[in-house]
This record gives sequence, C-alpha cells and structure tokens, in this order.
Amino acid sequence: MGYLARYVVLILLSCASWAGETIEPTNSLRPGDLVPDFTLPAVNGFGQRLAEARGAPLMIVWLGRCDECSETLVRYQLLAESLAMDGLKGWFVWTPEGKDQPPKMRLPVLKYEPRWNQGWQFEGRPAVLLIDPDGELDHLITGDLDDNYPETEKVLMRWLSLGRDGQISE
Amino acid sequence: MRLLLIIALLLPQLSLAEDAAVRKEVLAAKETVLELNRDLYELERELLSPATTRAAFNLTLNHGEYFEPLSIEISVDDELKVQHLYTERQVKALRMGAVQPLGDINLAPGKHSVRAVVRGVDHLGQGRELSVTEMVNKTSKPLITELVIVDRDDLQSARVQLKYW
Repeated sequence: MGYLARYVVLILLSCASWAGETIEPTNSLRPGDLVPDFTLPAVNGFGQRLAEARGAPLMIVWLGRCDECSETLVRYQLLAESLAMDGLKGWFVWTPEGKDQPPKMRLPVLKYEPRWNQGWQFEGRPAVLLIDPDGELDHLITGDLDDNYPETEKVLMRWLSLGRDGQISE
Repeated sequence: MRLLLIIALLLPQLSLAEDAAVRKEVLAAKETVLELNRDLYELERELLSPATTRAAFNLTLNHGEYFEPLSIEISVDDELKVQHLYTERQVKALRMGAVQPLGDINLAPGKHSVRAVVRGVDHLGQGRELSVTEMVNKTSKPLITELVIVDRDDLQSARVQLKYW
C-alpha cells in the first residue's frame, strides 16, 4: 500500500479517535445496552467513575430539574442504603440549572457539567437506571420520581433477588 | 462408470488442497494486516506526537496529608489543554506513590505559559485550590513535566510544584 493511502487511512483513524474523545449526551440507552463509562464530580465528596463501580449492582437516579429536592430523594436513598448489604450502590446525578442548589444526601450526588469532558448527559431524565455488575443496563424506569418510586422498589427487589432477568420496565 | 468413481475419489483431495491454499492466503492476509497496523501505529505516533512538539504532564502526590485532589485543569497560553476528575480509588493510588500520566499535548518550540489548577479538599474537609503558573521553555526535545502536590508541615497546608524530567 502506498504512503498516500496509508496516510489517508491514518487521518481517518485519527478522526475516529478524536470523535470518540467527546462523550455525547445520550437518550438512546435501552435495557441490555452496555452503559458508556463516565466520571462526574460529586458535590459531596470524591468524583465517581462508572467503570470503577463494576462488580456490584448500581442504581443511578438521574434527576430532572432539582432545587434542593432532598425530600423526593430520601426514599431512594433509604432504599439504596437498606440494600447495601446485597452489594447495591446508589448514586444521584444532578444537573444544575440557574441558581438551583444540590440536594443534601448521604449517597454521592454527582454533578453534571458540560465543561468536564469525561461525562455525558442522559436526556431521558428523570430516570432510574439499574446497572448490573457487568455494566449493562438491566432496567430503565423513566418519568416522575415520586410517581415511579413504588415501581422502582418492586423492580429493584425482584432484580436483586433474581439477578439479571432481562425484563424491561418503563 | 470408472471415470465417475475416480472423480468421486479425487474430489475430496481437491477440496482439501483448495482449503490449504485458502488458509495460506488468509494467513498471509493476516500478516499483512498486522504489519500495516504496526506501520500505522508508528506513523500515528510520529504525526500526532512528534518528539519536537511533545509535551507530557504527570502528577504525583507527596504524602497527601493536607490535601486531596478532586480535579485538575492545565492551561497552556490560556487555553485549556488537560482536565481530569479524581475518584477515591485514584487518590488512594496516588497516595501509594502512583505517577499519573495526565496527557500528552503538542507544543511548538518556544516559551509558553503553563498554569495548573488543582481543586480539592484540605485535611479539615474544606474546599481548597492549589495553582502554579510558570513560563516554560520548550526546546526541540520532548518536554516531560511532573506536577507534584507537596505537604507543607509547617503551615499544615500543601502546594503544587512543576518539575521537569
């Protein structure tokens, strides 16, 4: 293969790798998908990286508009804490808007900010993502967090007791 | 009839010979692909980060009793070049002596203003920001730097320094 052809292939490869560096917002996650890795800063401690949470089931509550919405999240926090014995980890992801203040929680509250290129935004929020120990999305529950709490609790208990069952809850 | 029998006996042999030829071709093609990959890798390294413009940044944490990093941002000539968010596991690794490669950038030979801002928390849990700004002279050789977060026992504080390898 000539030098020119190799150069063209190289440029194409480079473009592909540069494109891969920017993590785009996603709303196309479906149960069964491998959840793209991210690292987000936390408002209450160290940042969290999804890849480091592998090996344990993870519940991510991706918040919609939230200004000190701790009351809404308390039930989710208690649920995650009560199931910590089963290895469950729980994170909240908060996106500040205007002068919104973050919720004050014991679990990590991650802050999405576009300036950090190691993160991505989930456009289908508010949503609860149940991610299995291999990093695959097992359940996606979208919609109002107050309304969806009973459904989340039911799905979560069944999910942890049966392991991956591949059922979809939306 | 005999002819048909001979053909029937020879057909599997022919097929085996064809298979062997195809296998050889596949093997040759694989070797070519591997060779091409090696060439592309070398070319990529030379084009994307040639030694004359290569500048590498690393970070280490010396003790880390008075400061834990949560994020770092490095700007060169007021342009943000490198950023990183730390997890607890990464900070533990830094405390154990890990050297973190923050990234390689391309920097033309000459003088450049390098500014690093490390945000984190101090030993009392209060938010703190350490920063260092230096004029760096990039020659035609690779520039390899290390940002070191050092404890200052006398002030129960920490500072960040830029070292050159």
